[in-house]
Amino acid sequence: MGAAVLSVSGLSKTFPGVRALDGVDFTARAGEVHALIGENGAGKSTLIKVLTGVYRPDPAAEPGTGVITYDGSQVEFATPLAAQHAGISTIYQEVNLVPLMSVARNLFLGREPRGRLGLIDFRRMHREAEQALGGLGVRVDVRRPLRELGVGAQQMVALARAVAVDARVVIMDEPTSSLEPREVATLFGVIRMLRARGIAVLYVSHRLDELYEVCDTVTVLRDGRSVHSGPIAALDRLRLVSLMLGRDVGDVREEGLTKFSGSHDTEAQPILEAQDLTVRHQLRGVSLAIRPGEVVGLGGLLGSGRSETAKAIAGALPPDSGRVVVAGVPVRTGSTPAAIRAGVSLLPEDRKAEGIVPGLSVRENIALAALPGLSRFGLVDEARIDRVVDTFMKRLRIKASGPHQKVGELSGGNQQKVLLARWLAMNPKVLLLDEPTRGIDVGAKAEVQKLIDELADDGLGVLLISSDVEELIEGSDRVVVLKDGAVVEELTGDAVTEDRLMRAIAAAPAAQATTAAPGGDDD
Amino acid sequence: MKPNIFLRRTSGRSSGRVPATTLLAVGLVASLALTTGCAKSEDDGADSGDSKSAAEDDAGQVVSSPGAGGKTCGHGDYGAKKLDLKSATVGFSQSEKEANPFRIAETASIKAEAEKRGVKLLTANAQSQFSKQISDVQDLIAKGADLLVIAPLNSDGWEPVLRQAKAKHIPIVTIDRKINAAACKDYVSFIGSDFVEQGRRAADRMIEATGGKGEIAILLGAAGNNVTTDRTKGFQERIEDKAPDLKVVFKQTGEFAREKGQQVTEQLIQSKPGIDGIYAENDEMGLGAVGALKGAGKKAGEVKIVTIDGTKNAVRGIVDGWIDGVIESNPRFGPLAFKTLDTFTKGGEVAQDIVIKDSAYTKDNAKSDLGKAY
Amino acid sequence: MTDLSLGGRTRVDRDRLLRLLQDYGVHLGVAVLLLVNIAITPHFLSAENFRTQAVQVAPVLIVALGMALAIGSEGVDLSVGSVMALSTSLLSLYLGYGMWIALLVAVLGGAAVGVANGALIAFIGVQPIVATLALMVAGRGLAQVLLPQLKDVHDPTMASLGSGDLLGVPYLVLIAVALALLVAFVVRRTTFGRQLLAIGDSRPAARLAGLPVRRVLILVYVCSGALAAVAGVLATARLTASDPTSLGNLMELSAITAVVVGGTPLSGGRVRVGGTVAGAVLIQLLTATLIKHDVSPSWTQIAQAVVIILAVYAARERGKR
Repeated sequence: MGAAVLSVSGLSKTFPGVRALDGVDFTARAGEVHALIGENGAGKSTLIKVLTGVYRPDPAAEPGTGVITYDGSQVEFATPLAAQHAGISTIYQEVNLVPLMSVARNLFLGREPRGRLGLIDFRRMHREAEQALGGLGVRVDVRRPLRELGVGAQQMVALARAVAVDARVVIMDEPTSSLEPREVATLFGVIRMLRARGIAVLYVSHRLDELYEVCDTVTVLRDGRSVHSGPIAALDRLRLVSLMLGRDVGDVREEGLTKFSGSHDTEAQPILEAQDLTVRHQLRGVSLAIRPGEVVGLGGLLGSGRSETAKAIAGALPPDSGRVVVAGVPVRTGSTPAAIRAGVSLLPEDRKAEGIVPGLSVRENIALAALPGLSRFGLVDEARIDRVVDTFMKRLRIKASGPHQKVGELSGGNQQKVLLARWLAMNPKVLLLDEPTRGIDVGAKAEVQKLIDELADDGLGVLLISSDVEELIEGSDRVVVLKDGAVVEELTGDAVTEDRLMRAIAAAPAAQATTAAPGGDDD
Repeated sequence: MKPNIFLRRTSGRSSGRVPATTLLAVGLVASLALTTGCAKSEDDGADSGDSKSAAEDDAGQVVSSPGAGGKTCGHGDYGAKKLDLKSATVGFSQSEKEANPFRIAETASIKAEAEKRGVKLLTANAQSQFSKQISDVQDLIAKGADLLVIAPLNSDGWEPVLRQAKAKHIPIVTIDRKINAAACKDYVSFIGSDFVEQGRRAADRMIEATGGKGEIAILLGAAGNNVTTDRTKGFQERIEDKAPDLKVVFKQTGEFAREKGQQVTEQLIQSKPGIDGIYAENDEMGLGAVGALKGAGKKAGEVKIVTIDGTKNAVRGIVDGWIDGVIESNPRFGPLAFKTLDTFTKGGEVAQDIVIKDSAYTKDNAKSDLGKAY
Repeated sequence: MTDLSLGGRTRVDRDRLLRLLQDYGVHLGVAVLLLVNIAITPHFLSAENFRTQAVQVAPVLIVALGMALAIGSEGVDLSVGSVMALSTSLLSLYLGYGMWIALLVAVLGGAAVGVANGALIAFIGVQPIVATLALMVAGRGLAQVLLPQLKDVHDPTMASLGSGDLLGVPYLVLIAVALALLVAFVVRRTTFGRQLLAIGDSRPAARLAGLPVRRVLILVYVCSGALAAVAGVLATARLTASDPTSLGNLMELSAITAVVVGGTPLSGGRVRVGGTVAGAVLIQLLTATLIKHDVSPSWTQIAQAVVIILAVYAARERGKR
């Protein structure tokens, strides 16, 4: 194993009200591909941003901790540019190059070969660009603007640039999220080449198969702490997943920590069927069914396609193929109004940006979707709205100074209840709940969980997405497990356990390659 | 941590309907344009009688300062070949769209004179874009113009065109605005009005109408325009000189537009009901002032109005008794421009600065000369 | 302890005062200007004078109402001045059929420009400022093609529309007041109004809530276009001439100023009709004051700029909250 190039110990980073990193230890060595993994909010992005000079770490609590050591000496990068100059290159998901400039210009941006008179020597630049890309197995016309290239090729250019500037550390943030399998193979070839040259590669991804294929070591982050660091080969998939999710395999399951009751009646015909939903790079033929009075959990790691599935069903993400059938009637996909008319409502993951309308009152927010039904000839029936709002504010126990308080001023839990009220006012058949309890306090969380239970008892079909494994297992009657945008397993009855869930998530890819994109003949 | 990935992707998708909606938008505009096919304007035909091109029945311009004392220009000085105007091609570059009476009359006058003299005329309009005017003139040269008449949009920036013309020995006459270059070297002559003199003459009319006493207001033209500055300067100087009892108590811009002139005058007559006279630096503002006075219940002649330009509407205002005097800013450069070119190409001397004589309209001649107004 | 609570209280009071000032500052400004004028401007306190100010502000106000809707939807409509020009051209072209037909054609023309604006924004996703800028240029061009130069209007109905009155109140003012009430009603009491505010406040949330975002956006720009067209007709009636070259020049700026000064935030989600009316009146009074006192025109522009800066500053404070 090579020498340590970049390491941190006891690193912390606090934002107002949030401790994003809490004493993280981490070491990247020369000639090593190091996987950095963790669920949403684990602190990966923050760590990368601290390493590359975007954020400053918190001042050390005690000497020798909270520092970044690069190449044997303690450093602090003031700006991303400083980190880049020192030899730390970052390749983001969205390539941050200049799309209108030629490939060669991008490759040599800021260090163009100069001829006499200080003018750019284009001939030399093009020749060297071709060589550099050729070395990575990429053959493109380097005179063409970068934007004409595919995403994969653009990423290669970014990589080539990183290599060409003599980077010693290359950080890749989900580099494969929008690549075709063939491009992934090329990328891995390049990564191995970088490793052979003694470069330390920091690889962030949610795709377990890729991690095992290309990485040497792994650091697992959870809740801002580094919970494990070591060779990836020594860690089986199940163990890796359990580390990420913070649940131990074989743990005795303690009942009753959540407010969910037992199971619901699941005999009836499905109220909603999603069939073969496919969205390029995001979903690969996802099918699932929800019966009235049933809570179906959607399991999987971050990036496995849970939110995308919910959005595709709700019409907020137009699928390339596949269909959604509600109560036996096909619904036009890609149209939120159509889905809502059919009785399908989505509580989005990003409550603040996509859920509430912060400047409007509680009353207006609750009435928002149901407005046409609460109006006559385009005129709003205020009395009816008052009745509906009053009913739901009482039923969901929404705590606000009154119906006219701005929603933006409410607590997270009450905002979530307002959103639930908005949908319940529509008498939906199916509710899609994407992280309904995230970011709300314990008391409100229990209330929302109880509410979900009650709704299912009332005969609603519920799709529940939650990163909280406990909530998912206890709240769901069935769990559909997603991985890399495809359904890998469905847990029913007694199989709905944390153990089985983690095993399903960690399952080896053997079956997957063949089942990939079942409806994908359009591709 | 990257919730907006979905957003970006989904919004990227919505662009599928581009052609359909572009078509929609284009179709809308097109259909709007088509509907005018069945348009029926208020007085279609009724007006055509008296709007018959004034340029034709008017003898055109008279030189007000015929070279006496001024510098002249001859063939040798300029370095042009002799040629016969009858067989020559003249290029005319107009600066602004013919959307106001002045430009319409100006272009019409040039065209009419060319026709009268049997000269081949090429025309171009720069639509108020200076870069277009430069390329217009270059086009005219390329198309074989032997002589150029230019109504410049700007005074500066003519070097490339002048150089090109010089190389081909093409004489240039500029009308209504001057260009910043050497007369008789880069161009032959400038024919135009003296705006300061127009202001002075307007002041004379105002003094006569008000009897040289009282309070008057000025409706200024657009700010930063030399026409505004000159017409103000001449007017104020003359008032101070000749009628110190005539006080200018109000000076506001009407931006050469009727609506603004009306609005400003409305404010004026509210705050200074005893105003005796209004000097409007163009006809349009003067007509706006008339509208304001009518709206305020004033009678014709109660407030004396003097304007500059000489458009038909303003002259009709004199006939109706609302306006007391209109100083003409003569747009009919055709006869004088061609006369200058004729003399010059025959080898004669012409003045470098030719100021045309602007006539004036008063109660005495308004009715009879209404046909002369443009 | 007592000190602390006292400090807290004055703080709260100051915040409340500040908020009141932000919300009603424009009304205060109007009141101050009125008082100042009564004190220093001769002949200010006359029915004739108020009539003049009201008549002059009417077209600006009507345009500003449409602008308030566009801004409330987190957009802007720069094409309003050109729509006024287009409307006056169409009016002049169709006046031969009588005023009502011509009026209808003019308003339809304005609405058509609105449809084009809305389609560009809602379907193609062009930024409102870019889409309406395109229509601003195209609209003025079309207006001048249709009617190349100023043309007098002799229609007696038009003349009486421009200068007539009902019980001493000019028709123009009556129409402006009626339209202001109508727009206030639409914003407050109709589904369209509510949906517009939700869309302006949070487009993604509105979309996920199943709101007909595209339809509402198109309707917003149709309203704005139609109102601008009405303003164009009224301005023509007042001038008794159609002048497509200069009518409505810089009107978009006046309208935006009125809306912003009136306290409607540029970030959308809120439409203050009363504030917009007061904003338009404030600008009118300010201009009138300066003109009446024969202050140099350059100062008039500077004074307007100061008012805008003050309003934007206030809006910024509001945004922080």
